[in-house]
Amino acid sequence: MTTILIMTFTGIVLIGVLGFAGRRKPAADLSEWAVGGRNFGAVSMWFLQAGEVFTTFTFLGMAGLAFSGGVAALYALPYVPIGYMVLFFLAKRLWSLGKERGYLTQGDYLEDRYDSKLLGTVAAVLGVVFVLPYLQLQITGLGLIVQLVTGNSSSGTLSMIIGSVLVAAFVLWAGLHGVAMTSYFKDVVMLLVLGVLLVAIPSHFAGGVSAMFHRIDELHPEMLTIHAGPADQVWFTTSMLVSAIGVGLMCLPHAWPAVMSARDPKVLRRNYTWMPLYELCLLMPIIVGFAAILVLKPGSSANGILLTLSKQVLPAWATGLVVIAAIATAMVPAAGILIGISSLVARNIARVQGERTQFWINHGTVVAACGLSLLLAIFRPDLLANLLLLTYSGTVQLAPAVALGFLARRPVGKVPVLAGLFVGELAVIWLTFWNKDLAGNVNVGLIGLAANLIVLTLAAPAERLLARRTTPAPDKQVAVTA
Amino acid sequence: MRPYHLIPAVPALALAVMPFLPFVNTDGLWFGLPRMLVWGAAWCVMCTPALLLTERQMARETAESTEIADTTDTTTIAAGGTDK
Repeated sequence: MTTILIMTFTGIVLIGVLGFAGRRKPAADLSEWAVGGRNFGAVSMWFLQAGEVFTTFTFLGMAGLAFSGGVAALYALPYVPIGYMVLFFLAKRLWSLGKERGYLTQGDYLEDRYDSKLLGTVAAVLGVVFVLPYLQLQITGLGLIVQLVTGNSSSGTLSMIIGSVLVAAFVLWAGLHGVAMTSYFKDVVMLLVLGVLLVAIPSHFAGGVSAMFHRIDELHPEMLTIHAGPADQVWFTTSMLVSAIGVGLMCLPHAWPAVMSARDPKVLRRNYTWMPLYELCLLMPIIVGFAAILVLKPGSSANGILLTLSKQVLPAWATGLVVIAAIATAMVPAAGILIGISSLVARNIARVQGERTQFWINHGTVVAACGLSLLLAIFRPDLLANLLLLTYSGTVQLAPAVALGFLARRPVGKVPVLAGLFVGELAVIWLTFWNKDLAGNVNVGLIGLAANLIVLTLAAPAERLLARRTTPAPDKQVAVTA
Repeated sequence: MRPYHLIPAVPALALAVMPFLPFVNTDGLWFGLPRMLVWGAAWCVMCTPALLLTERQMARETAESTEIADTTDTTTIAAGGTDK
């Protein structure tokens, strides 16, 4: 136990130190801090983008989902490649617009494309509200990991405090460069650990991967199919679709700094081409989760199964390595999310004059968001849990606005986009909290998106008609100009 | 919309319809692994060649359009065109 505990806290400190090593001196302005001066090459971009995909949810949650739902966990496999295929075509336009117009955030993009500060602010507020629970999830996950392996809740709390302080500190110092530096470490250690677990756990409990699946096929064949129930075909397809739209149209605000930091669009395209192969790594925790079906009792805590099985199979030092990898999947995405949230507040919500003031508001937000998430993770871990349900379904309501913004000639104005966004969010909130059974197994984000698009489609011609009526006739316009 | 836009649609569609294919969404194994897992992994792998092929087609189209533009410029200059 002592070995695991020492390795755990060494790992947390090591990740913090690596984050600081991302820069020799602190960034001078927000652009340098948030998007690394738009000078990131293929390798850095690769790890930054992978950093967004492989989080605590991937590392611990996927194994848990495979344990409780079998192949239903595979819904998470296709959405990133599908989203990246969309981004492959949009990358050049997105990058060029970002470079020409100086975007740092999603709010900047929407504000500029629709010439509406209101839309930029609304998008930023929604981004912060829906992504803050995701930040808290990473911190709670960090505490849970340590608590699970040490069996001691105070160690869990201490790890959350140390981890959060270090993340906030290295993010303030190094910005996106710090996230990139820790991402290298995270992906290397995570792949190493998952590779070991993929071999060790099925071999130990069932004599290998193939033998394990043959036993599952005999004893639990229902785990190999998507069948009637809460995780049926409708749930699988609609959840995958909403997540793919979210990725493909950059609906999550913390995805923007990484894309804006690319040196040129070729770097982005190359990564979107090869990243689907990397996505196969997701199968490793899923296969480990299948092993738990044969070993653990149904109803066991799903989130902890990867660590529980690791402890049963591996020596203490190797379990310590698994914990370090798990901690990295919490701390690194947390750092990326912090950059996304703080730049939204500084650029699109606070709206202060002067670059220096904006920079300090950004840094203040890093401390405030991290502190708030830490306090909630310690004292009220369930408070934001409901909001977490809205992270994907809520942010995906920005998809029509983002998609139409790519067009050279914008077919709709800000009012239809805002009206659609409002109705879409309302539908999602209503179906998530008040009328939970109405949607059945259909992802509420998709229903919200349908409502959003209907309102947008109806409001667009109305807006055009209104504009035509209020615009003076050409001869009158000349008279006025003259 | 160009034909090369449709190339990545093939793996995307194969992944999206995965749970509705009766020969995929069933018990039994392929190569000792669940059929859904093999199908999903195989089409994820296919995304990369699909995008590489698309990129090649896009590059070829760009090169052709540049060549046409160059030829037009040369012809115009040779004929004592608008430059003078």
